[in-house]
Amino acid sequence: MKYALFLGCLISAREPSYELYARRVLPHFGVELVDMPETTCCAPFSIQSLDYIGWLSIAARNLAIAEEMGLPVLAFCNDCYESLLMTSIILRDDPELQGKVNDVLSEVGKEYKGKVEVRHLLEVLHQDIGKKKIKDAVQRPLTQLKAATQIGCHAVRPKMIHPTLAVGLETLDELVTALGAETVDYEKKQVCCGGPLRGVNDEISRQMTRQKLQGMKRAGANCVVTVCPFCFIQFDLGQLEIKRALGEEYNLPVFHLVELLSLASGLEINDWKMRDHRTPIDPIYEKIKGS
Amino acid sequence: MARNSVLVIGGGIAGIQASLELADKGLKVYLAEKSPSIGGRMAQLEKVFPVTDCSRDCVGTCWLCILMPRMIECYRHPNVELLTCTEVKEVKGKLGDFTVNIVKYPRYIEIDKCVNCGVCVEKCPVSVPNEFEMGLKDRKAIYIPFPQAIPDIVTIDAENCLHFKDDGCHICEEVCKAEAIDYEQEPEQLTLNVGAIIVATGFDLFNPSQIPAYGYGEFKNVMTAMEFERILSPFGPTEGRLQRPSDGREPNSVAFILCVGSRDKRFYSYCSSICCKYSLKMAVSIKQRNPKTEVYLFYTDLRAFGKGFQEFANEAKKIYGVKYVRSNPGELLEDATTRDLKIWYEDTTSGNIQNLAVNLAVLCNACIPREGTSELAKVLGIELDNFGFVKQLDEITHPVDTTVPGVFAAGYALGPRTGDIPDSITQASAAAERIFEVLHVKKKG
Amino acid sequence: MSAVDPNFMHEVANTPRGEGVLTCIQCGRCTSSCPVARFLDEHNPRRLMEMIILGFRPEVLHKLPWYCLSCFTCLDRCPQRGDVGEVVFAIRSLAAREGDIPDGVWEQAKNLLDTGRLIPTTGFMHRQRENLGLPEISTSAKDAETIMKRVGFDKMILKARTRKSEVTE
Repeated sequence: MKYALFLGCLISAREPSYELYARRVLPHFGVELVDMPETTCCAPFSIQSLDYIGWLSIAARNLAIAEEMGLPVLAFCNDCYESLLMTSIILRDDPELQGKVNDVLSEVGKEYKGKVEVRHLLEVLHQDIGKKKIKDAVQRPLTQLKAATQIGCHAVRPKMIHPTLAVGLETLDELVTALGAETVDYEKKQVCCGGPLRGVNDEISRQMTRQKLQGMKRAGANCVVTVCPFCFIQFDLGQLEIKRALGEEYNLPVFHLVELLSLASGLEINDWKMRDHRTPIDPIYEKIKGS
Repeated sequence: MARNSVLVIGGGIAGIQASLELADKGLKVYLAEKSPSIGGRMAQLEKVFPVTDCSRDCVGTCWLCILMPRMIECYRHPNVELLTCTEVKEVKGKLGDFTVNIVKYPRYIEIDKCVNCGVCVEKCPVSVPNEFEMGLKDRKAIYIPFPQAIPDIVTIDAENCLHFKDDGCHICEEVCKAEAIDYEQEPEQLTLNVGAIIVATGFDLFNPSQIPAYGYGEFKNVMTAMEFERILSPFGPTEGRLQRPSDGREPNSVAFILCVGSRDKRFYSYCSSICCKYSLKMAVSIKQRNPKTEVYLFYTDLRAFGKGFQEFANEAKKIYGVKYVRSNPGELLEDATTRDLKIWYEDTTSGNIQNLAVNLAVLCNACIPREGTSELAKVLGIELDNFGFVKQLDEITHPVDTTVPGVFAAGYALGPRTGDIPDSITQASAAAERIFEVLHVKKKG
Repeated sequence: MSAVDPNFMHEVANTPRGEGVLTCIQCGRCTSSCPVARFLDEHNPRRLMEMIILGFRPEVLHKLPWYCLSCFTCLDRCPQRGDVGEVVFAIRSLAAREGDIPDGVWEQAKNLLDTGRLIPTTGFMHRQRENLGLPEISTSAKDAETIMKRVGFDKMILKARTRKSEVTE
């Protein structure tokens, strides 16, 4: 299974562990990641808010690159996934609009023909690889973990408008369970992390993360698992920010799903630095390493 | 002769009304009903509106006064042949001369022998959810769907009966003093020759678990309106005692949520037309039992149109104290200990977002085409509208004609025209009149 | 309170992603579901639609559109495809054209125009990637700039810098 990897700005700039672990563990499941040359940002919501054709053109240009490579796009970040997927659907359903976008793209020597599939990491893990293969590959069941999962908004919504959003609400939980960990049900599990308001209204952004952390703590979780790098920042750096602003501590280490996938698959982890984490992970990490 | 016979498909109020009108005027009527008893949806209701001319102390159900006499008349009428457990399989021919192949599924009971004593039901070892009770109560594999069923004889549900599963059980045969059990019965194929057909198959109900935010199927104290009707009914699973599912306690607060699946482009974009009315009726019914119970109606538009309904809506508010909230709630949450529901809503008149804790939530779910309607439409050659209801030949000039001459329709099979009982009766009458017209029948008597 | 603009609803309906304003029945399900609305009285999706329909153009365009998280909970629940979560994008683009953009959004847009990324790369980042054995990032800042200039993005950003938005605290 070969995919054109669309990393997005956040992972490549801020979350090297995400990228590192993904590149190391996914090939073990037969996933080949091919880097896309000369990409740009996917044009997430901040850009979508400013100009419609601008958004579609930027996103379609990235799709055109994957088209040239003849590969489906694999996105890790929920926002990248949403932007690219919605672009592909909108242009598929509106050939006139696709023409307008290609008119813009002609200025950079690109053309989007509309034949690219956009996949999310969760889709690939859950459907292409499958729970069973993942479970079978587990050498180090993560039984120490009581995980509060955060699947994020844009992997699963808006389903009513785009039924092709193939990721089900239970997908992340099922994958985490396949790795031997326990998942908890907590209040406001399906509610947004507050990420999109970071930098726009930090107070609300922080409050939304805080209410989720409270729910997670009450439900007895000892860690958080995310897929979207934005959610990751909200919970990881967010706990530090909440501690500074309000003096509250939650002590919930936040893991990328690919980190847990790697740890559970028994890959050699002694040389790997889990650098992304601002909320300390040492106690739990030591337990996992030791087992 | 074909011209003097009519097939009515569906034994609810519309089918019954049409059958009686046709039969009274001398036509031979075959009343075909899929289930073991006629009565339809109306038989599941507690009260119907308006109730103003009846005694407020009445503890019965309206349909005993209104529907029951008609059901019995159908059963006894010399011109009506009641064909229950029957499905229509093939129709050929045209107006004035239809050849219809029907299948009568076996009851496994000798109809003339069964006296409905109930001993077999008592002794039967198998329990399954009772469809008539919306699954709130069980019935046996040999059963009568409700006490006042017509025909008043039992039926064996072969899918769940142990005898048919592994040929071990003969209990009902052993205890039946009338020797009415006959396991050897086979489906019977019959051919009818009729001049006209009426489709009166009624409606099914939208499954609200398709809206996960409302918690139906997950939260015990969230029920549908029809389930709640069964609770209110004195012949229902709680014998008319207002009890909520999780602990059997009387709810101190009940919320009705309207437009669940209706007026919703994700599911059924039409208005089901009867829910605002029946929820008012149920709200008042609760208040009449216990004025202290808090009753809330969450609505988007209160469609209480027609004779007396707006006045009833005003009365419900001013005299009975039913509280109206103009809001379509976003979600329901459940309190894990009390199993109360927390309804998150925005009061659109004030803009305040609040939550309301209630003991019981009733979802007024959309009325949707009966399962099997598209198959029946193919058999009859009639067109359906884009929602799956029977399409009228012309909405204004031919409201009870289908797209096939000689085939008519009445009641909710036509969809939410106005949908309530008086309208179903009106349409049934209209269909009967149309049949007299097209068959050129001189009405006797 | 300004004078009401009876054409505003249609202006929004004719802006991409704003079509839903014509079918809203003001049922309130969106507001009941909105996570931000529970924190902030000012953010009320149903009322936002109401204000658009009634024509309160300046009130709608200033500050109000930027509280939305785009979590799309409202979209999954709206019974009439009013889709306020989409309409928000339409009114944001109208506000942006008039130079009304919050700082955080403005920064990201400027970065996209200048570097092709929302978050620019730094020397530290490049070194860290090299140390970890991660491949070099390949971005075409030039293409991003060409596209954004073609749709008039650069002018929009310049105009916005002259008007400070008040959404951030």
